[in-house]
Amino acid sequence: MFTVSSYCTAVSTNSPRLSLRIRMIEVVCNDRLGKKVRVKCNSEDTIGDLKKLIAAQTGTRWDKIVLKKWYTIFKDHVSLGDYEIHDGQNLELYYQ
Amino acid sequence: MGSSKKHKEKGRDKDAEERHREHKKHRHKEEKRKRSRSKERSGRGSEREGRSKGERSAGEPRVKKEKVEAGYQESPGKCRQISWLKQLHTYIIRTSHKLRAKLGLKPLEMTDTTKELGTKEQPMVAETINPVYIKQQNEMREKLAAMKEKRLLNKKLGKVKTLAEGDWLDDTVAWVERSRKMAKEKELAEKRAKLLQEMDEEFGVSNLVDEEFGQTKKAAYSSRDLKGLTVQHRMESFNEGETVILTLQDQGVLEEEGDVLVNVGLVDKEKAEKNVELKKKKPDYKAYEEDESVDDMATFKPRTVLGKYDEEIDGEKKKSFQLSKGGCAEGERERELQAIRETLRNQAQSLEMPALAIASEYYTPQEMVGFKKTKQRVRKIRKKALPDELQLDDTRNTDFGSRVRGRGRRQLDEGQEVSKEGVIIPGLDVPQQSDDIRMADMDIKDFIPTELAVLEEDEAEQDLQKQLEKQRKLKQKQLEKQRKLKQKQLLQDSGEKVDDEDNKNNLNIVFNATSEFCRTLGDIPTYGLSGNREDQEDIMDFEQEAARDGAGGSDSDEDENVGWSIVNVDEEQKQPDFSTASTTILDEEPIVSSGLAAALALCKNKGLLDTQMQKISRVRAPTGALPNDNYSIEDKMTIDDKYSRREEYRGFTQDFKEKDAYKPDVKIEYVDESGRKLTPKEAFRQLSHRFHGKGSGKMKTERRMKKLEEEALLKKMSSSDTPLGTVALLQEKQKSQKTPYIVLSGSGKSMNA
Repeated sequence: MFTVSSYCTAVSTNSPRLSLRIRMIEVVCNDRLGKKVRVKCNSEDTIGDLKKLIAAQTGTRWDKIVLKKWYTIFKDHVSLGDYEIHDGQNLELYYQ
Repeated sequence: MGSSKKHKEKGRDKDAEERHREHKKHRHKEEKRKRSRSKERSGRGSEREGRSKGERSAGEPRVKKEKVEAGYQESPGKCRQISWLKQLHTYIIRTSHKLRAKLGLKPLEMTDTTKELGTKEQPMVAETINPVYIKQQNEMREKLAAMKEKRLLNKKLGKVKTLAEGDWLDDTVAWVERSRKMAKEKELAEKRAKLLQEMDEEFGVSNLVDEEFGQTKKAAYSSRDLKGLTVQHRMESFNEGETVILTLQDQGVLEEEGDVLVNVGLVDKEKAEKNVELKKKKPDYKAYEEDESVDDMATFKPRTVLGKYDEEIDGEKKKSFQLSKGGCAEGERERELQAIRETLRNQAQSLEMPALAIASEYYTPQEMVGFKKTKQRVRKIRKKALPDELQLDDTRNTDFGSRVRGRGRRQLDEGQEVSKEGVIIPGLDVPQQSDDIRMADMDIKDFIPTELAVLEEDEAEQDLQKQLEKQRKLKQKQLEKQRKLKQKQLLQDSGEKVDDEDNKNNLNIVFNATSEFCRTLGDIPTYGLSGNREDQEDIMDFEQEAARDGAGGSDSDEDENVGWSIVNVDEEQKQPDFSTASTTILDEEPIVSSGLAAALALCKNKGLLDTQMQKISRVRAPTGALPNDNYSIEDKMTIDDKYSRREEYRGFTQDFKEKDAYKPDVKIEYVDESGRKLTPKEAFRQLSHRFHGKGSGKMKTERRMKKLEEEALLKKMSSSDTPLGTVALLQEKQKSQKTPYIVLSGSGKSMNA
């Protein structure tokens, strides 16, 4: 029980600054044509890394993948945390 | 949930499998997974622990495990499901770790397990972020920090005892003791000092010690201390003999640079000068004059951009000089620099090239000195040919295609055969040439390259011809004699006497201009009949000659005329033969002697006649119809009308002969008020309007105006474009967008993917 409580306190101290720490997040990528993958990655990973992970799962080349959300194209050199991509978020998968 | 445990288990398994299959990536790994799952199934307890421990950090897996274990006790089915999920999760984590390692990424952060608690399938309530709580925490932190600082300060300051702290007030004994102690210490210190002094005196070091401690106050500030100070004025501003007081320039407190001396007056003066310069409003920027130049010291001064702002940006450059030892400043360094500058300037080579000037077309007098005029070498070949040429000219100039020679070369040859002593030279193909070629062949010496060449040449030619004629005549006489001799020989055979007429039968080919002309002109039957042709030669065959001689012999007693006539006849007979031989007329020429018709036909063939039908002007009778004796239509009114008859002209009318060739191209153009050319219909309308004095009505004029406007619009319309100018718009849009296409609709972003 004490572990549980300690766990809670650990969480509480950290909660005001959630974005500072590195989290593992799971992102869902869907291309609306049948390919839907869930990829686990760190929040500090860049979009390029995420693309590579997606490529490993989908089988396309990672440089052919374009991740978008509506008209926002995610650039390869920015991290997921900077893009504020949280756990469970859906990204649109396109190809170029 | 399921009804029975078994069912639940099965369902769970199926769910797990389905979830597995959701991940398409795992398809190829499904067997693996199945195997692993089976493994997991078998060795759940121990393996799970080990694996989980290895992967995650200390806290969470234990937490999870315990939780799971806790859950396990609650409902085994559910916990199994959870454990399944967890195992799946761990498997996924493991594979992703492998993948990440392969890709070169850091392994997944496993610190945050809150998310693990709540997956999509089993969402858990997240902690709420309490802003009030957060604020409180921050305040606490600040307070703590403040207290900490205070503590430290107090610690530092606490060492110092305040007066109020005097515990000695209460304790007099202690105070007394302390004061005594103080006094004792003082005495001791004095003693020690004395001892030290004695010791110093013993060693003789006292002086030094005194010096050391005393000298610092006695340090005097003299002129030698002025070395290295900078004076922030130009050397030139100080004149000899004057005393200028310099003061230290104001400097910032923190500036550690050396002192700078200035004179206040000079500073003001410099400022005033600068202001005057600024007031003069000199043009400060000339872009084309800012060249890269070379400085005084032959240092390269690069082209600066907006040099007028350098002072503002970099700060004013102040000229200064440094004082050397003893506070003196000599201008030696400046003088040295100046000397160097002078030498460099003298050494410098100007890059200016001599100004470009138009090259002179003529030699200058200086150049003419060394100019040798080459003598014109006269061609010697010509000189050699002269005697021959003269002989040639002899024949050429005089016999211009006389009938003697005939038209063709054949006669020449034949003539040549007869008179071997003749002057016929193989090069006699020359005689056929026209005047032009003859002129060209003439001696170059005679050819003076001036504008009057032509006239002079003519004169020269005439002179030459006269000369040549004389010579020719001489030659002819000689040849005649020779021929006579030969003929005599021949005639001796035939036994006929030599005729004087044989004079005429010269076989010389003599040209003159008139005979040539006549040759080209054609046969004129009357030519030579009047006997005024002196140079008549006849080119006769030997047979013809003989025939003539025969004829001549028969008519020898007749006059020359008869002989002429006979000759003429023969010649005339011969002409057609010659013509057929030499000219290109294919059909047979009519024999001129057969009549006027033949002569005319010949002329027509030659093109001597103008075959155009001439307009014969007709005489117009006053009456329109043909006059008829028996029947006439007369309009009595027209005849009797006095006034109409006044204008009549009954005379002979004829077109102007001299204006025969005048065929004017008459084009009468009518224009309306705007300058447009009118069609006949419109022109007539215009005329009739003017004639009757009234124009069209309102409707008509409006219609006309509309039509004119439409025509104007039609003209303005561009043939290559639509009326709205869409092609032009398209091109402009393309230019602005710099793309070969244009996006018709939708926002630009939608096309970016």
